[in-house]
Amino acid sequence: MSFPILSAIMLSPGLGLLAVLFLPRENKRAVRWISLLSAGLSLALTLYAYAVFDTTAKGLQFVERVLWVKSLGIYYFLAVDGISLPLVLLTSIVFFTGVWTMWDLEKRVKEFFALMLLMVLGVYGVFMALDLFFLFVFYDVSLFPMYPLIAIWGSTRKEYGALKLTLYLLAGSALVLPGILYVYFQSGLFSFDLMEIAAAGLPPSVQSLGFLLFLFGFGVLAGLWPFHTWSPVGHVAAPTAVSMIHAGVLMKLGAYGVLRVGMFLCPQGLVEWSPLMATLATVGIVYGALVGLAQTDLKYVIGYSSVSHMGLVSLGLATGTLGGVDGAVFQMFAHGIMTALFFSSVGHIYDRTHTKLIPELGGMAKVMPRASFFFILAALAGIGVPCLASFWAELLVFINGFQVYPALGTAAVLGLVVSALFMLRVVQRTFYGEKNQKYAAAPDMSAVMVIPRALLAGAILLFGLLPRLMLDTIQSGVAPLVELFK
Amino acid sequence: MIARDFMLFLPELTYLVAALILFFMCLPQKADHKAIYAVALALAGLGVAGALLGMGQEGHLFFDAYQVDLFSQVFKLILAVAVLLVVGICHGLAGVEDRYHADFFLFLFTCGLGMMLMVSAVELMTLYVALELSSFSLYILVPLRRGDNLDVEAGVKYLFIGITASCVMLFGMSYIFGVSHTTYLAGIMDRLPLIIQQPAAMIGLMLTLSGFFFKLAVFPFHFWAPDVYQGAANQVAAFIATASKAAAVALLIRLTALTGGTSLYFIDVLMVLCVASMTLGNLVAIVQKGIKRMLAYSSVAHAGYVLMGILTMSELGYSAAVFYSMAYMLMNFAAFGVVVMVATSGQNLAISDLAGLHKRSPLLALTLMIALFSLAGIPPTVGFTGKFLVFAGAMQQGYFWLVLVGMINATISLYYYLMVIKAAYLSESPAELPPLVVSMPLRLLNYLLIAAMVYFGVCPGGFLDLAQAAVRGMMGGD
Repeated sequence: MSFPILSAIMLSPGLGLLAVLFLPRENKRAVRWISLLSAGLSLALTLYAYAVFDTTAKGLQFVERVLWVKSLGIYYFLAVDGISLPLVLLTSIVFFTGVWTMWDLEKRVKEFFALMLLMVLGVYGVFMALDLFFLFVFYDVSLFPMYPLIAIWGSTRKEYGALKLTLYLLAGSALVLPGILYVYFQSGLFSFDLMEIAAAGLPPSVQSLGFLLFLFGFGVLAGLWPFHTWSPVGHVAAPTAVSMIHAGVLMKLGAYGVLRVGMFLCPQGLVEWSPLMATLATVGIVYGALVGLAQTDLKYVIGYSSVSHMGLVSLGLATGTLGGVDGAVFQMFAHGIMTALFFSSVGHIYDRTHTKLIPELGGMAKVMPRASFFFILAALAGIGVPCLASFWAELLVFINGFQVYPALGTAAVLGLVVSALFMLRVVQRTFYGEKNQKYAAAPDMSAVMVIPRALLAGAILLFGLLPRLMLDTIQSGVAPLVELFK
Repeated sequence: MIARDFMLFLPELTYLVAALILFFMCLPQKADHKAIYAVALALAGLGVAGALLGMGQEGHLFFDAYQVDLFSQVFKLILAVAVLLVVGICHGLAGVEDRYHADFFLFLFTCGLGMMLMVSAVELMTLYVALELSSFSLYILVPLRRGDNLDVEAGVKYLFIGITASCVMLFGMSYIFGVSHTTYLAGIMDRLPLIIQQPAAMIGLMLTLSGFFFKLAVFPFHFWAPDVYQGAANQVAAFIATASKAAAVALLIRLTALTGGTSLYFIDVLMVLCVASMTLGNLVAIVQKGIKRMLAYSSVAHAGYVLMGILTMSELGYSAAVFYSMAYMLMNFAAFGVVVMVATSGQNLAISDLAGLHKRSPLLALTLMIALFSLAGIPPTVGFTGKFLVFAGAMQQGYFWLVLVGMINATISLYYYLMVIKAAYLSESPAELPPLVVSMPLRLLNYLLIAAMVYFGVCPGGFLDLAQAAVRGMMGGD
């Protein structure tokens, strides 16, 4: 057996967690260093895996499969394909930069990093596990640390935001678990191996109900309209790194769940319900953009633009075409990096000025040129400026969305125009124009704290300039999937 | 032959001897608390050893009224571990009057003995006697508390409701005897599936079961639970909430298996009880201020989850119920253990009294958080895996809606568990309270509980196989 690289990636935050748990609370330095090291280790391993991933081969790679519970057919089954590997990469990047961004945290450091490591362990697990039992376990593991993370270290209405978020997301998983058990028994295989069930195929009626359960269950986390209301509130309340991971990675778990569990197991269900899914997605795109227009809080702005952008992911998935699903997966990656950069910049501004209200800021480009640069770059990426990663993703989704659903595609494009408008307005008001003297002396990012933001910005540029670097990988995973929808 | 019977009866004998030793320790006027505690702890440890040695034994005793099989031995092990854990948190026993410490342990052991006899009893009269042994011990344990008269009220309430339940149960047994002409479960099992559609058989079985519904605090037999939990000493509440429930689950499995799963009416009735217990327990738990009352209502909800496994009448469902009772024992004990350790003078705690716990004792706060997440059914804890198995059992029988209701209930329950976690982790205590000193053995106990809750959550295979083998033997054995 070759080196279990996926387990190593997943367990490096686990090891970090154990080490952190046994450190004394006072030793904040060691806690930070261990967290950063374990994040760095998983990032390095992920980059290696990404480099050696064979994009010409179809199917799963780096497979680790061990029978875990014999009587139920539960497997410890980790593997990645072209769909999950980019998301693992996304997680590694956001995790690493997130830990770095939180370096200056002083309040209950040990607990913060312990919970964050646990959450990331869960996220890795979801993207790698291909056994429904473990997938669900990891899914919930990545969700519940959000409650203390937001409620303890958050800001604006943190307890309300944390509670709302936790209850919404776990209500979503209350649909997923019956769905999993339903397909498990209907398949008659007595195996939780996702690939095995997918290969055997399920009866059409089972696929229909199963897909609905997975669509709405995971859809809550993907910010699918009308179940998105937890998301802006949660983003606003969460501390910087948690917002980064949450909007950057966790919301992708939802979309990934719909894709991996819903669409793989119930392809006929997608065909049946795709008009509904596309409609909800488009409503989300337009609604997010319109509500975003009215916001005055920087984090709310990003929160609603996330709803809008995640709508694009759902729209891409709903097309069921090669290009559409490609675009959706690419959008998950691009949006993840972009939002992380957004929150990371806003986090800095908020730490220094203690406000994130747009009318109170203004002229920040002169006060904090570095932080402003990163925010504006993220905003441009969100608008879909060419040469940035989101451009390709959004282009693919729009082309395919337009072909499959002309009316909805048009509405989605209009929604994007609106969101471009409001993003530019936010940038104009916050970073240019009249300077608020109160914050004129607020310090900019230090050179060390520029590094994590620069990493994120670099990823946006790299995959914007060389989209094939990512699209080839994604396509190798999506191609076998879309065959199922024919 | 004698030696073999001796081995069969070993766990019970250990408890019997333990009770005798403790009886003699009750007699002196002036008792040495430390010595009593040490002896009780050693005896409880021996009890676990006895239960372990008893694993794998099979046979019949006392004119076939008493059956030792894997099923009974698994439950005896769960019970022995529960007794050991409860004795483990009885150090100092601040909530119980000084002169009753030895009596306290004595009745704890007789109660444990009664429960062990209960899970092996396969004859209705034997079953009844065993049940009463454990019940009467509890009737005495509840009012042993120091201080206010709340304990007396709780004791009286428990006594009266308990005796009523016993009467109802006896009445039901008389019906069963009437329709099947035997008190042996093996004989009943042969005849009952053929006549279960008759109202008399149906009523008899339901009334008999109600005695155990009472123990498990299934709606509408749950009214005693919040008052008794609140009135009894914290350790006694912990014991009632763990061991007593496990024994009730064992008997419910044994008795429902008698029908062979042939009666749809019967399953419908159980389903109604299951849904009502889950929903009512969870909804009422939301408004509770006291942590023990909250846990009491949550136990009503958990009774509903267990019942979901039982009403499937299938191998998977029953083994899920066995797994769940083990899981419930662990996580509920962990939650109660924290209550005992925080309430240093044995007082009742309000949820708001937990404020600032994360500062006063990070370890206890962590144990509490994991226990509560486990009760809420969040992975990777044993509570999640238990729920997963129970729901799997129900789904296997096609009870899709029941699973959905169960999951919705789990989400509701998360709300009030989160409120407690919020108190422990977020709220700052108004007055600066001193850090809680947790002694080394108790720290170790907390680590062990955390490890066990996570281990059985992630690696359920071993215990699940054991439970399945036990259930298979119990269903097909006779």
